[in-house]
Amino acid sequence: MTSSAMPGRPAKQSRFARKALPYLLSLPALLMCIGILIPFFTAVYYSLLRYRLNLPAMKGFIWFQNYINFFSDPKFWNTLKISLVYAGLTVVLELLLGLAIAMLLQKRTRLNNFISILLLLPLMTAPALAALMWKLMTNPNFGILSYLVSILGFPDMKWGSDPATALFTVTLVDVWVYTPFMMILLLAGLRSLPPAPFEAAALDGVPRSFVFFRITLPMLMPYILTATLFRLLDSIQQFDIIYAMTQGGPGDKLLVFQVQAYLDFFQATNVGRSAALMIILWAITYALSNVFIKQWLKLREKAHGVG
Amino acid sequence: MYDKEKGLFEAFVAGKMSRRELLQATGKLGLSASAAGLLVTQAQTRAMAADFDWMKHKGTKLKLLLNKHPYADAMIANIETFKTMTGIDVSWDIFPEDVYFDKVTAALSSGSGEYDAFMTGAYMTWTYGPAGWIDDINEYIKDPAKTNPGYNWEDLLPGLRASTSWNGVPGGELGSADAKQWCIPWGYELNNISYNKKMFDKVGVQPPKNIDEMVATSAKLTKDLGGPYGIGVRGSRSWASIHPGFLSGYANFGEKDFNVTDGKLKAAMNSAGSKDFHKKWVQMIQESGPKDWANYTWYQVGTDLGAGASAMIFDADILGYFMNGGDNKEAGNLGYAPFAANPAASAPTPNVWIWSLAMASAGKQKDATWYFLQWATSVEHALFGARKMDFVNPVRASVWKDEEFRGRIDKSYAGYLNQHDVSAPGAKIYFTAQPLFFDLTTLWSENLQKMVAKEIPVDEGLDKMAAEMDAKLAEAGLG
Amino acid sequence: MDHTSTLEKVIRGILLALVVIFFMFPIFWIFLMSFQTNESILRIPPSLAFTPTLENYIALVTGQMKTAAGSLQLNFMQNLWNSVLLSSASVIISLILGVPAAYAFARFKFRLGEDIAFTLLSFRFAPPLLVLLPLSLYFKTLGLTNTYIGLIWVYQLICLPLILWIVRGYFEDLSPDIEHAHRIAGYSWFQTFRKIAVPLALPGIAAAGLLAFIFAWNNFVFALVLASADKQPVTVGALAFVTASGIQYGQIAAAIIFSIIPTFVLAMFAQRYLVEGLSLGAVKG
Repeated sequence: MTSSAMPGRPAKQSRFARKALPYLLSLPALLMCIGILIPFFTAVYYSLLRYRLNLPAMKGFIWFQNYINFFSDPKFWNTLKISLVYAGLTVVLELLLGLAIAMLLQKRTRLNNFISILLLLPLMTAPALAALMWKLMTNPNFGILSYLVSILGFPDMKWGSDPATALFTVTLVDVWVYTPFMMILLLAGLRSLPPAPFEAAALDGVPRSFVFFRITLPMLMPYILTATLFRLLDSIQQFDIIYAMTQGGPGDKLLVFQVQAYLDFFQATNVGRSAALMIILWAITYALSNVFIKQWLKLREKAHGVG
Repeated sequence: MYDKEKGLFEAFVAGKMSRRELLQATGKLGLSASAAGLLVTQAQTRAMAADFDWMKHKGTKLKLLLNKHPYADAMIANIETFKTMTGIDVSWDIFPEDVYFDKVTAALSSGSGEYDAFMTGAYMTWTYGPAGWIDDINEYIKDPAKTNPGYNWEDLLPGLRASTSWNGVPGGELGSADAKQWCIPWGYELNNISYNKKMFDKVGVQPPKNIDEMVATSAKLTKDLGGPYGIGVRGSRSWASIHPGFLSGYANFGEKDFNVTDGKLKAAMNSAGSKDFHKKWVQMIQESGPKDWANYTWYQVGTDLGAGASAMIFDADILGYFMNGGDNKEAGNLGYAPFAANPAASAPTPNVWIWSLAMASAGKQKDATWYFLQWATSVEHALFGARKMDFVNPVRASVWKDEEFRGRIDKSYAGYLNQHDVSAPGAKIYFTAQPLFFDLTTLWSENLQKMVAKEIPVDEGLDKMAAEMDAKLAEAGLG
Repeated sequence: MDHTSTLEKVIRGILLALVVIFFMFPIFWIFLMSFQTNESILRIPPSLAFTPTLENYIALVTGQMKTAAGSLQLNFMQNLWNSVLLSSASVIISLILGVPAAYAFARFKFRLGEDIAFTLLSFRFAPPLLVLLPLSLYFKTLGLTNTYIGLIWVYQLICLPLILWIVRGYFEDLSPDIEHAHRIAGYSWFQTFRKIAVPLALPGIAAAGLLAFIFAWNNFVFALVLASADKQPVTVGALAFVTASGIQYGQIAAAIIFSIIPTFVLAMFAQRYLVEGLSLGAVKG
C-alpha cells in the first residue's frame, strides 16, 4: 500500500489477497443466507412423504408419489396453467405500462421527479391491506368503483366474484400495486443512459421509432431483464392479493400455486402435498431465472465488449 | 367491615339479585362503582373458593393464545379475579381473526410449548386432536381432586358438550361414550334469521318459515325494496361458507354430508334430497343474494345487514346481534327469528360454531392450565361476561336462565331470546367428524360457486363432486 | 431532444394525468375513508360528502378502539414500531453485506462467482410457505423463536437478493477506469471502493435499498409464524380491525395511511438519488 506502486497497476497486494478479495466480499452475504438451505432440504424431504399432520398413522416415505399424483390430477394442471397465465399477464402489462410511464417521466424536471415518487405509493400499501380496500371499492353496494362503472354503463359488474371478470380484477390490483416497481427501476435505467447516441441520432434526423427500438430498448435491456425477473419471481408466487380478494375462487378460477399450497398446509395440514407443490413452483422459478440470468450475462458481456 | 355489602354481593353472585338491584343497593350504601367492582371480584372468588384449593398452583405463569374476539375481551376484563383467586399469573398473545388459525397451526405444529391453552373452534380439534397437539380434558373434568365441586359440567348445553367431543375415529359420532373432550365450549353461535324489521314492514312480509318461503320472501324483498337485496349468506371459497345457514337448512331435511358404513366414509351430497335443497339454495342466491356473493365472508354478510344493504341474513345469530348496536346505520331496527328449512320439521336444526378453549399437549403446567380453563368456563365468569360484556351466546343453561341477562337482551334485541330458546335443543354440529373436513368442505363451497355462476348444473355438479370426494377419501384411507 | 411539438406536449400531459389518476385514485379514496366513520363509508351509493373525523387516527394512537362490542385494546403503535425496526435493520444489514458482494460480482471474474451470485438470487425464489414449517422447528431449537434477530435474519431472504442484483447492475455500468486511476494514485482497494465506487453507484443503492425496505415492510407471513403478538408488523396489526363485531374500514384506511408515511418519508428523502439516475456521461467522459 505504499506509493511505490508501478504506473498502470493497482497498489501492491499479495497475489493471495487479490485472489481472495472477491470471495471475502461475497461470502458473508452467502453465509448469511446459507442457513436457509437446511429448512429447504427438510422441505424437500417432506415432499417425499405421505405426511398429513392430522393422520399421523399414515406417515411414510413414498418417494415421488406426491409428484406422480399431480400428473393425473386435473386440479394441478389447472393450478399450473392459472399461475403461468397470471404471471405472464401481470408481468407483461406491468412491463409495458412501467416502461411507458418511465418514458413519460424521463425528462429531469421537478414535477416529473415528484410524480415518480408519488407513483410509488401503491407499492407502499401492503398488498394484503390494499386487497381489503379494493374489495370494498368493488363492492356492488358501497364500492366507489362499482358506482363509477355503473355510471359508465356497467351496472352489473361483479368484479372478483364473477368467473368472467375475476382474473381481470386481481390483475388490475396487481398492476396497480406493482407497476411502480417496474417504473422506478426502468426510470433509473433510462436516465442513466449515455446521451451521446441519442444526440447523434437527433442530429441525423433518425425517426423516433427507430431510436426507440434500435437504441433505447437494447441499451435498457439489462434493466428490463432485472426488473422483469424480480417481478416474475414474485408474480408466479402471488398469494396476498389473490387470497385476500377471492380465496382462489370463484370455483377454481384463481387457485394459483401459493394459494393452493397455503390451503393444503394451513387448512388441510397436508404437509407432503403442500411441500411437493412448492418444490414444483421452486423448480419453475429456478428454470425461469436461469434463462433470464443467462440472457442478462450475455447482454452484459456484449455491452462491455462494445464499451 | 363491609358485612352488609358482602351480603349483597353474595346474593348477586348467587343469582338472587339482578345487577341493577345490586347497584341500587350498593349506591344507597355509598359505594363507588369501582369499589363495587372490586367487591364483585371478591365475591366471585369467595363463591368459587368454597371447598376447593384454588391457591394450589400459586406462582405459576401461564401463556394463552387468543383470537381478537369479544369473548377474549370479556375474559381479559375479568382476569384479575382469576389472578387474585389463584395466585397464577396469566399473559396472552392476541392475533386478528384473519390470521388466527394460521398462527395456531404454526405454533402447535412446531411443537412449541410456549402456549398452555388457546382458543379454537370445534372443527379445528378434528385436526389438532389426531395430530396429538391437544389433551383430552375428560381426564381433568372427571378428577374431583382437580376440579372445583361447583364447576357443574352438566350445566353446559348438552349439544355443545357433545359437539366438542369425538373419539377420533373418522366418521365417529360426536359425543359418543368413548369420545375425548378435545376442548371446552366457551361461547357459541347458532344460525338463524336476523332481519330488518323496517324493510319487512315496508314490503309487508313476515320472517319466512321454511326454505320455499325464504326463496319467495327474499325475491319479493329484492323486487319491492328497489335497492337492498333480499338475503345475505356467505359464499367465499371456504369451508366457512358451508357451516352457517347452508348446513343448518340442509340438516333440517335430514340430509347428511357423508354416510358412514363399516368405518368407511362415502359422500352423500348427491342424494335426491340434497340435490333438491341445493337447487333451491342456488336459485335463492341467484335471484336475491348479494351480487358478489362469491366473495362474501361473515363480515360482509354482517356489514350489509348493518348498513341496510340487505333485508335479512341466514347466518350466525350473534352477527345479527352485533349489527344491532354500535355505529351501524340499522342499529335498533333488527329482529330475530328461528328458522326451520323443512316444512315437515318440528324445530330448527342450526349448525353451530363453538369458540372453545383447548389445552396444548406441549404445555408444561397442565394442572395450573386446567385451573385457568375451569375458571374461564365457570358459571361465575360466564355470568360476568353475559351481564356486563358481549359474551354471547353463553354456553351454560344457568346463564340463559339469568334474569338480568335475559332482561338486557330482551330490551334491545327483539326476538333474540326466542330464536335461541326455540333452536337451542337442536343446536349442534351436523358435520361428520373426519380428518379431511377442511379439504372437502372447501371443495363443497367451490362447487356451490360454480353452480351459482351457472358454470355447472346442480345435479351434474353434485354427482361429480361426490365422486371427487370419494376419491380423496379413498386416497386418505378413509373411503 | 428539446424540439417537441405543442401537440406532443399536450398528449404527454394527458397521458401523465391519466396515469396519476389511475394510481392515485385508490390512495386518495383510502385517504378520505380514513377521516370517515364506518357508517359514512358504508353508504349507498358512496358519496364524497361527509363530516371529517379524526376518530380513526385517535383510536390508533391511543390504542382504544370502539366497536359494537365495546372498547377494545389495540397495540397498533407497537406494530408500527416493529415494522420500522424490522425493515430498517434488515435493509441496513443487507446493504452492508450486499453492496460489497455486488461489487465483487461486477468487478471480478472469479471461480464460482456466477454460481454464488445465482445461489444468492435463488434464495429469493424459495416460496416462504415451503420453508416455514421446518424453519419454525429449527428456530425453536436455536432459540430464535420470537426474537427480532431471528426475524431480521429471515428478512435477509427478501432484501439481500434484491439489493445484490440491482446494485450489481449499477456497478457494472460504471466504467472501471476511474477506479483504476484512483488506485494508481496510491489508494487502497477499500478506499477506492468507499470513495469512488459507492458514491457513484449511490442512486442504484438508494433505489435497491428503498425497494428492499418496501418489500420487507409489506411482508407478514414470517413474523406471523415465527414471533408472538408483541413483535408483529403493521401488516398483521391492521388485520385486527376485521373484528368479530364487524369490519372497521375507517381504521383500516387510517392504518394504511399511517403505514405508508414512514416509507414515503424515506422515499422523499432518497428522491434525489432515486430519480437522478446515473450520470454516466460524467464517468465515461
